[in-house]
Amino acid sequence: MTRQEPNLWTVEKELWVENRLGLHARPAAKIATAAQQFDADIILEKDSQEVNARDLLDVLALDCPQGTRLVLRTRGPQAREAARFITSLFARKFEEI
Amino acid sequence: MTRKNHLLEGIPASPGIVMGPAHVLTQEGQVSTRLLYTDQEVAEELKRFNRAVDQTEEELARLRQEIADDLRDHAHILELHLLILRDRMLLLETQKLIREQNYNAERALYQAFLKIKEVFQRIGDKHIRGRIQDVEAVYHRLLGHLTGRGNSKTFEFSEPMIIVARDLSPTETTQMSNTEVLGFITERGGKTSHTAIIAHSLEIPAVVGLDNATLEIESGDEVIINGLTGRVIVNPDEAMRRSYQVRKEEFETFKGEVAQGSSLAAVTSDGYANRVLANIEMPEEVSLAQKYGADGVGLYRTEFLYLRQRQLPTEEDLFQDYYKVVEAMAPREVTIRTLDIGGDKFLSPLEYAPEMNPALGLRAIRFCLREQKIFRTQVKAILRASAFGKVRVMFPLVSSPRELHEARLLLESVKGELARENIPFDPQLPVGAMIEVPAAVTLADLLTQEADFFSIGTNDLIQYALAIDRSNKSVADMYEPLHPAVMRMVRQVVQVSRKAGIRVAMCGEMAGDPLYIPVLLGLGVDELSMNPTSIPVVKKVIRMTSLSEARRIARQALDLPTVEEVNEYVSSEMDHRFPDIFRFGRPLATNRVS
Repeated sequence: MTRQEPNLWTVEKELWVENRLGLHARPAAKIATAAQQFDADIILEKDSQEVNARDLLDVLALDCPQGTRLVLRTRGPQAREAARFITSLFARKFEEI
Repeated sequence: MTRKNHLLEGIPASPGIVMGPAHVLTQEGQVSTRLLYTDQEVAEELKRFNRAVDQTEEELARLRQEIADDLRDHAHILELHLLILRDRMLLLETQKLIREQNYNAERALYQAFLKIKEVFQRIGDKHIRGRIQDVEAVYHRLLGHLTGRGNSKTFEFSEPMIIVARDLSPTETTQMSNTEVLGFITERGGKTSHTAIIAHSLEIPAVVGLDNATLEIESGDEVIINGLTGRVIVNPDEAMRRSYQVRKEEFETFKGEVAQGSSLAAVTSDGYANRVLANIEMPEEVSLAQKYGADGVGLYRTEFLYLRQRQLPTEEDLFQDYYKVVEAMAPREVTIRTLDIGGDKFLSPLEYAPEMNPALGLRAIRFCLREQKIFRTQVKAILRASAFGKVRVMFPLVSSPRELHEARLLLESVKGELARENIPFDPQLPVGAMIEVPAAVTLADLLTQEADFFSIGTNDLIQYALAIDRSNKSVADMYEPLHPAVMRMVRQVVQVSRKAGIRVAMCGEMAGDPLYIPVLLGLGVDELSMNPTSIPVVKKVIRMTSLSEARRIARQALDLPTVEEVNEYVSSEMDHRFPDIFRFGRPLATNRVS
């Protein structure tokens, strides 16, 4: 997965971690699994630190407890679908409380 | 893969000779650090690693399939593990380390895992940080496939193997005890290490303390372990194989003969009967003593109950233990040694401050005569047990007739107490003095007046006579059982005992070493007490020796002025007369764990 120029993103939007336990194993696994399904580059950024959403351990290591603000960036053939799906995961609080 | 043969040398830790394929254990903390030298090696290592990843993935997927629907949480964990397995940090990083650092796969994987661990340690959220456990689980599972063993059945091999490792933990050896392990080679450890203990109980050869074993030996190498000498041959040639096969058969034959003869009496070829007894420390060891054919217990150490708990054991606690041993050994004799430690070991540090020089301090009979209440309790328990079999009592570290006299007075007073309470005991209970202080040797003739037998404790006697602390490495090699001074002391004790008509036993380590047996027989020691596992060999040595020959050897040895000459003489004599005892018997008896 090679990344291109950072200014060429198709989608760039803000997400908030709202579930109580934050991006722990299961939510992170959901993000990574989802990210791997799409033909797109999917980046999560926290405090100017970027990770590839496909990399579970990187997502975990981003250290996102409840209330964390993240920026989601996507590009590629399925950039919009990927962004929509990931956003919905956050919105549904990963089906947790 | 045929590599040139090479010879390694470690510490012999469990006797026996075996040949078989090596299995090098590479675990966290004991990952082998082989470097890859050619592009081809790197390519093969990458292939090997990727194959292990595939196998792990298949395994996880299969486990995921097998999980019932109501175990959703477990299924989630396996899904998580599948993701971790293919994660960049683990997979790509390992591959990169193999490619760029020329690490072997295990090492590379371990490094990658360590790096992830570091990253996770910086995570602030406790729940998220805790997920390192999942990474660790995947790491182990993957490592398992890499090293050729499955994860759930950690140690199951397609064929019997020789295990090579940095060190072995109790968990690892426990898992191994169900599978067929031919032998152990470890880099760490000494004769008393955990590996040595396990190897002994499994009766398989072991060599420990072999530096770089996991580097020098690769999985799949053909290896010969000689647990008698500590030698290890990697990829032996045909001639080496043949000679080891011969040696192995000779050893097995010897061992078989020894085992078969363990229940036979220890009678010399010219008809002189000796007694071979066991040293034990707790009731559980009685079965060992019996298994190895002990003619009785020559030294029952009684410190264990005092050290096990903070408060002093009660008379009943003590009696229960003594009773178990006495009753189980009956009609054979049990020699109970009274408490042989100092008060600092179990009493309040206010009363008994640590001593500068505990070997020369307030311990054993000195301490017991000072703390009569503690002593009376023990003596009472011993007397009560004496009603249930054959018991002897002996007092440690006696250095004057007065001490022995005082101890006897106390014993008589406790007997009176028991008699008044109508509690049965053996009124004829033999009383012995341990001879382990040079002063006791010098005064042995006086001690015979109140002793029914002597037991020479060679460990202490040698230490005091030669002023050598064996645990001090700079002088440990000067600890010499055959030192002329020691032999003369033994002779003196035997001579005065003959005159007084009492028996002389010996219960130090020297008594269980086949090398010294003919000398000790020749000097006139009547009973030898030792670690139970040494008994069969010592019995065999006694049966192979004639007393007249032993006397001649002892006389010759006593005539030599220096310990070097004595050692030289006794070794060559033994090597010449009893080559098997020298090659096989000694390691079999003395590579023990006590």
